[in-house]
Amino acid sequence: MSDSWLVTNLRAIRGRAYPRVIGSKREMSWLFFDITLPLLTVSAYAYIYKYIQAPSEFVGFVILGGAMTAFWLNILWAMASQLYWEKEIGNLQLYLIAPISRMSILAGMAVGGLFMTSIRAAATMVIGILLFGITLSLASPGMLILVFVVTMISLYGMGMMFASLYLLLGREAYHLSNLLTEPVYLASGMYFPVRALGFWAAAGASIIPMTLGLDALRQLFYPSSGSEYGFLPVNTELAILAVLCVAFLWLSKYSLAYMEKLGKTTGRLTLRWQ
Amino acid sequence: MAVSHDLRTFKNAAWLGWQMEANWTDPFVFAIYSIVKPIAGSLILVFMYLVITNGETQTPFFSYMFIGNAFYMFVAEVLFGVTWVIHDDREHYMTLKQVYIAPIKFYTYIFGRAAIKIAITTIGVLVTLLFGVLVLGVEIDIGSVDWLVFISALIVGLLTILIMGLALGGITFLTAKHGQGINEGIAGVFYVLSGVIFPITVLPGWAQTISHLLPVTYWMEALRRGLSPDLMASLPGSSGLSDFSNLGILLTLALSAVAFFFISTAVFRYADRTARRKGKIDWTTSY
Amino acid sequence: MQPAVEVKGLTRVFEPKKKKEGKSVTALNNVDLRIESGELFGLLGPNGAGKTTLLKILSTLLLPTAGKAYVAGFDVEKDFTEVRKRINMVSGGEISGYGLLTVKENLWMFTQFYGMKNSVAKQRIDEMLAQFGLADKKDEKVRTLSTGQRQKMNVIRGFVTDPEIIFLDEPTLGLDVNASRVIRDFIVDWVQAKKNRTVLLTTHYMMEADQLCDRIAIIDDGRILACDIPENLKKLVKMNRTLKLDVTSLQDTTKFSSLPGVEQFTFQDDAERNQTSLKFILTDESAVTEIISEVQRKGARILSLQKTEPTLEDVFIKMVGKGFE
Repeated sequence: MSDSWLVTNLRAIRGRAYPRVIGSKREMSWLFFDITLPLLTVSAYAYIYKYIQAPSEFVGFVILGGAMTAFWLNILWAMASQLYWEKEIGNLQLYLIAPISRMSILAGMAVGGLFMTSIRAAATMVIGILLFGITLSLASPGMLILVFVVTMISLYGMGMMFASLYLLLGREAYHLSNLLTEPVYLASGMYFPVRALGFWAAAGASIIPMTLGLDALRQLFYPSSGSEYGFLPVNTELAILAVLCVAFLWLSKYSLAYMEKLGKTTGRLTLRWQ
Repeated sequence: MAVSHDLRTFKNAAWLGWQMEANWTDPFVFAIYSIVKPIAGSLILVFMYLVITNGETQTPFFSYMFIGNAFYMFVAEVLFGVTWVIHDDREHYMTLKQVYIAPIKFYTYIFGRAAIKIAITTIGVLVTLLFGVLVLGVEIDIGSVDWLVFISALIVGLLTILIMGLALGGITFLTAKHGQGINEGIAGVFYVLSGVIFPITVLPGWAQTISHLLPVTYWMEALRRGLSPDLMASLPGSSGLSDFSNLGILLTLALSAVAFFFISTAVFRYADRTARRKGKIDWTTSY
Repeated sequence: MQPAVEVKGLTRVFEPKKKKEGKSVTALNNVDLRIESGELFGLLGPNGAGKTTLLKILSTLLLPTAGKAYVAGFDVEKDFTEVRKRINMVSGGEISGYGLLTVKENLWMFTQFYGMKNSVAKQRIDEMLAQFGLADKKDEKVRTLSTGQRQKMNVIRGFVTDPEIIFLDEPTLGLDVNASRVIRDFIVDWVQAKKNRTVLLTTHYMMEADQLCDRIAIIDDGRILACDIPENLKKLVKMNRTLKLDVTSLQDTTKFSSLPGVEQFTFQDDAERNQTSLKFILTDESAVTEIISEVQRKGARILSLQKTEPTLEDVFIKMVGKGFE
């Protein structure tokens, strides 16, 4: 096997992505659940805003937030805590003895799940827009794409960092993922402008890439809302996200290595049913 | 003898459920987790409301929303809990087939596992309500609680949810790992259509028709009337069930519980037979 | 020549997560081992002896508490990346992979973690599937396979990457005679087909170790008790004779171990057939008469009697002191 490190790891990403892609084709029931059901929570929050006569952009905020939850849930359940399940099934040790970067395994999971996740997010957006008659501005498509991509990279980098914790965890993994669902929705301002939390709380929450990413996307989709509901200017948020990108990817590499070594020292790396 | 056997199954399943829920960490961490999670969920709604009302929470609607959201935890946790039991046992611990072939009634086992979910969720609901009352000014006065209505509604409603969970559990036999979407979906349907966080009168007409068919709609109404009798009277506009008396609400709830009993057991039996026929009791679908 | 595996003073202690969960466990205790390149090396030991712990250390899944381990000349602790390029592992009863994928897809997926080119991977997979009689199953979903078929697939998964060194942890566990034979024959052929291929095999099946292995180490309680070629190991019990008696069901077997000339005694009850199997390692052949008399005194009847040459099982019993597995 004299191929380069890069080629080996790219093939590993492809290999691990494959079951996800094939799974989405072979078990099609996800289509119904992932397309229609996330709309329910979004609808509930949208109706609340309608009932309390919130400005119309708030319904758009909810729809955007609902779309983004797809990615966060993918990271929590289909990437980070998936390592725990792989341990229980017996695949983890086979991944770990292979001569590949751990980030490749996680990247493969992420890439493989992106198809389903993207469908879920897109469906939430499109159906939400149609259902509630939302109008979004597309005046800065380039910026929208840039913000989205940078947010995703930094978010998945953060996800890889989390995943390193899961190498060690037993059943705490499932509960940690549970604990990181709604509190993160709250802290990130998933369904309301994050500046409502106050400056310092919002600043603290900005460590989660989704906070600033969502805020920036909202300001771009609703250009007139920035001054009243935006947290920081879009360019500032983009810059911070770029820094988070680099930071999380770098941190995840070291945290994966550290956690793996800790797991090997304590013997918990392959210990099932903890 | 059959009854004592069922009781033993129920008890052992509940014990197992408790172990699964709680023994992954020490009691202190578990207590924190049990408190933080429900409160965080409620705070999303709180902040959504505060942004629009500029910090005002002393309104009937805020209490309406807060109370509904707190009790909705039962719906989400029990429905999720039942489907998760089957999914977890089948896919991760691969013990489902051993439990299934044991000489017990499988739905008794499910009820036992779900009972613990209810018990733990009760603490979460109590903590959330306490937080709401003490910190956010939610309108609940212990002296004014209509205990008869509240307790009756609570018991009948929880039984109904448990029974619905059984049907979902059966469906889980037949779905792949992303069948977790089922419980999210069904719980989501109730969240939108059952007056959990807003009166059903906000919904379009066709949706309100569906709302009137869902037991959780009556449950939510009955719980609020029992817990805070003056609240519903002071809510602007109709909740959608204002024409029902307390007795009428409770009777409708009870009737829907009976109806769902028959529906759920039929669904469960069908799903059980189909799963056995197709060899899905011990299939794994993880990817 | 550089050994395939070298282990020096290897110790592994497992501490409980919390003190109240119990005492620490020493799974490996100052183990020294050397496996030459090209060897088919066996590791025999009862449950909890430390076999899997040793394999986990060598396959870079676990760090030793003390001592050193080298695989293909690379330190498992520091140079784990180099080690991983050269190894693979198969466990008995493994349920790796994804039930949703076909056999071929599952195998292909694992080849990608070793950076294998598509064309090479697919060709090798097809060849090995044919070799194991699974060619007609290649497009079947993994979850439809029987236990034996699944384990054959697992074995293919381990060997398809053509490792220098492969760790096999009870690869024929729970398999029927035919499936086991196919796997064993494959292992032998694989080692012989190319120079410097090494196998470290753990097993409970004495016959399997005896047949397959160039050398065998016996491990118990984390220590290597003996390590040699099978013939030399058997010589350890050459001075002793073994006697095997099948008698009608015996309730009381207490006196047998204290009879003169009996070095070691084990027994096994077969409630279904209402008989007891007695096995003796004798230092003095004259003990046979006394044993037979004792059986008669206890009111049992002898159904069969067999005097045997020492086997690996006898060596195992002598070293480890435990009965039939």
